[in-house]
Amino acid sequence: MKRLLFICVVALISAVLFGCTAARNSADPNANNSEDSTGSTEENNSEEGATITYWYWADNSEYSQLMQDIIKEFNETNDKGITVVGEEYPWDGGGYSETLFTAAIGGGGPDVASFKLTSTPLFTANDLLLNLDDYIANWDKKDDIDSNIYDIMKQASGTDSIYLMPWNTQVLYVYYRPSIFEEAGVEVPTTYEELLTAIEKTTMDTNGDGKTDVYGFGMRGATGGQEPWGSFIHARGGSFDDLTSEASIQGMKDFIDIYSNGYAPPTASTDGFNEIIANFKSGRTAMTIHHTGSSAEMVDTFGDDVSAFPFPAGEGQWTSMGDTENVIFESSQHKDAAFEWVAYLAAEKGQEDWTVATGNVPVSKSVQELDFFQDNEFMKASIEGMPFAGIVPIKDTTTEWISTIWPNTVAAALLGDKSAEEAMKILQEELHAE
Amino acid sequence: MKKKKFNFWPYLLISPALLIVAFVVFYPIIEAIFMSFQNYDLRRPDKISFVGFENYIEMFNDPTFWLAVKNTLIWVIFGVGLQFFFGFILELLLNQQFKGRGFVRAVSLIPWATPGVLIGLMWKWIYDGNYGVLNDILLKLHLIDAPIMFLSQTSTAFGSVIVTIIWQGIPFFAIMILAGLQGIPHEMYEAADIDGATKLQKLFRITIPTLKNVIFITIILRVIWVANSVDIIYSMTGGGPSYSTQTLSVYIFNKATVLDLGYSSGMALLLMFMLASVAIPYIRNSFKEGS
Repeated sequence: MKRLLFICVVALISAVLFGCTAARNSADPNANNSEDSTGSTEENNSEEGATITYWYWADNSEYSQLMQDIIKEFNETNDKGITVVGEEYPWDGGGYSETLFTAAIGGGGPDVASFKLTSTPLFTANDLLLNLDDYIANWDKKDDIDSNIYDIMKQASGTDSIYLMPWNTQVLYVYYRPSIFEEAGVEVPTTYEELLTAIEKTTMDTNGDGKTDVYGFGMRGATGGQEPWGSFIHARGGSFDDLTSEASIQGMKDFIDIYSNGYAPPTASTDGFNEIIANFKSGRTAMTIHHTGSSAEMVDTFGDDVSAFPFPAGEGQWTSMGDTENVIFESSQHKDAAFEWVAYLAAEKGQEDWTVATGNVPVSKSVQELDFFQDNEFMKASIEGMPFAGIVPIKDTTTEWISTIWPNTVAAALLGDKSAEEAMKILQEELHAE
Repeated sequence: MKKKKFNFWPYLLISPALLIVAFVVFYPIIEAIFMSFQNYDLRRPDKISFVGFENYIEMFNDPTFWLAVKNTLIWVIFGVGLQFFFGFILELLLNQQFKGRGFVRAVSLIPWATPGVLIGLMWKWIYDGNYGVLNDILLKLHLIDAPIMFLSQTSTAFGSVIVTIIWQGIPFFAIMILAGLQGIPHEMYEAADIDGATKLQKLFRITIPTLKNVIFITIILRVIWVANSVDIIYSMTGGGPSYSTQTLSVYIFNKATVLDLGYSSGMALLLMFMLASVAIPYIRNSFKEGS
């Protein structure tokens, strides 16, 4: 009996101690939250010496190191003693956003994260993101970013508020190999019809063994391929709003014809980012579509034998405007420190370092004026594409549409399991489902 | 007659473990059951409500669901069946006396010890239509004229992925059966030799009947694991092209990652019941042996 009593007492003490610790842990965030909501000067002072976690993805190992260098410089130079801890996660064809959401809603997310516009409704619907209206209104560099970009941020949230801090944009254009164009006797296309002809003519058997050695177009059939695909749909006068229109279906037929006529690698139905870049860099494709994020490695591989042109106009013209922003989470205990960091990336040294090294289009007007951006041919193709650049409609169906519906439906169409009409009907219904 | 005093000590001592199991196993299952009766879609958090059997009705009208069920059956029957077949052959070889047997036994375990995602990525590059080593070998041996797009066409993708899971699971069968084989008394084979039994007679009259329980339990465990596995398919094809490699567990995963948790919970429960029907004989067998 004595032993039982002893065990009960120990259990009771343990429970009390555990309860006290838990209560204290849960009390702290509330205390900080109330501080945050005041927006007082004392609060800003309390941000000094704060440590914030930052999630990001990088397209290759050089960009990983670059981001770590930018973080290091910020940590050493900011006058508030803020320490950013950068944690890299793979983009994984958009899986990054799902990982981020799962972490954030489970209470384990970072303070700040790299972000895509398309994910905005999901995160704002669950009240995960910090409203940046007041921060931007009081920011001395707010006019260094075009007001049009702030408007796009507002559109993405479906409100009049800004939840995303602009960082950089990527306008897709066509990479091509001048030497292959010369061998095939084609000029840089200026119309959509010329592009289709160029794709056909640059598909070549270079060693005469009866097999194709160079494919005209590096098609992306896996996740992410909806962006270049959208250019074909719009070039025939179609649009994302009505994918079942005759024009949209004709664009889809062009896309299927490129594959079924053998102008794209046979693996195209499952080729993703890594595959289209590897195919282009190995000389297996004459053209492919991506943004300036790949330009540095393309130049490293080919030197002068790589160039770019904007996706040409047909009856319509469209190219995908990729985007990368940063967001601050509502759950962050150091929101002011977090804003210092995203501001550094948006319009200060961090903006210049990242965009110059990656070749992404800066959002800061003062950085855009640097010679590097004015003289670069890939940047020129990006800037020429800006007037007709757009995004896939941001709806709550978009994430699933991009990650599973589009790749599987388009693969079925490319492989002949579905007609262009059937595929477009599915894509229309799934994108615009209520 | 003196009434037997109730001994609460065993229950008290086992209660922490029971509480933990209840929290990490039963609570999520109950949550999943509740979710499956709601349109629990985090993309539309303001519309979450009780919808009765709507998710299940939608499931039965969803051709992708039925394709996933069909793929799951093929995946399990061929995946586990051929793992067992080749595992049995490997185990018979590993049971022979030869120089370096210990080393070969250790090396043969490598596929089982390798993480599924790594296996998926490795085989994805082996199968690659442009740079894959398998196509390269087949071309050099003049067995094919042009590279086969193993993972890019619906006719070959699923078979290619099944080969990968077979490769991964063979060592598990081999080792489990080998362990059972070690327990067969050598005298039985000696007696059979004296009676003039052939090798095949010894295999079918002694080895296989004695290993019956080990084989049964190993197959049941593997059926459950293979049916639930997502890593290899997801890292190789993501369920594509055109859903041709999408099993039920991959479909559940794909739906859950786009946050349609109500629908994916419903499918997960159906999969659980399907697997429970396989697992119940195993559990009953375990209880019988325990008692």
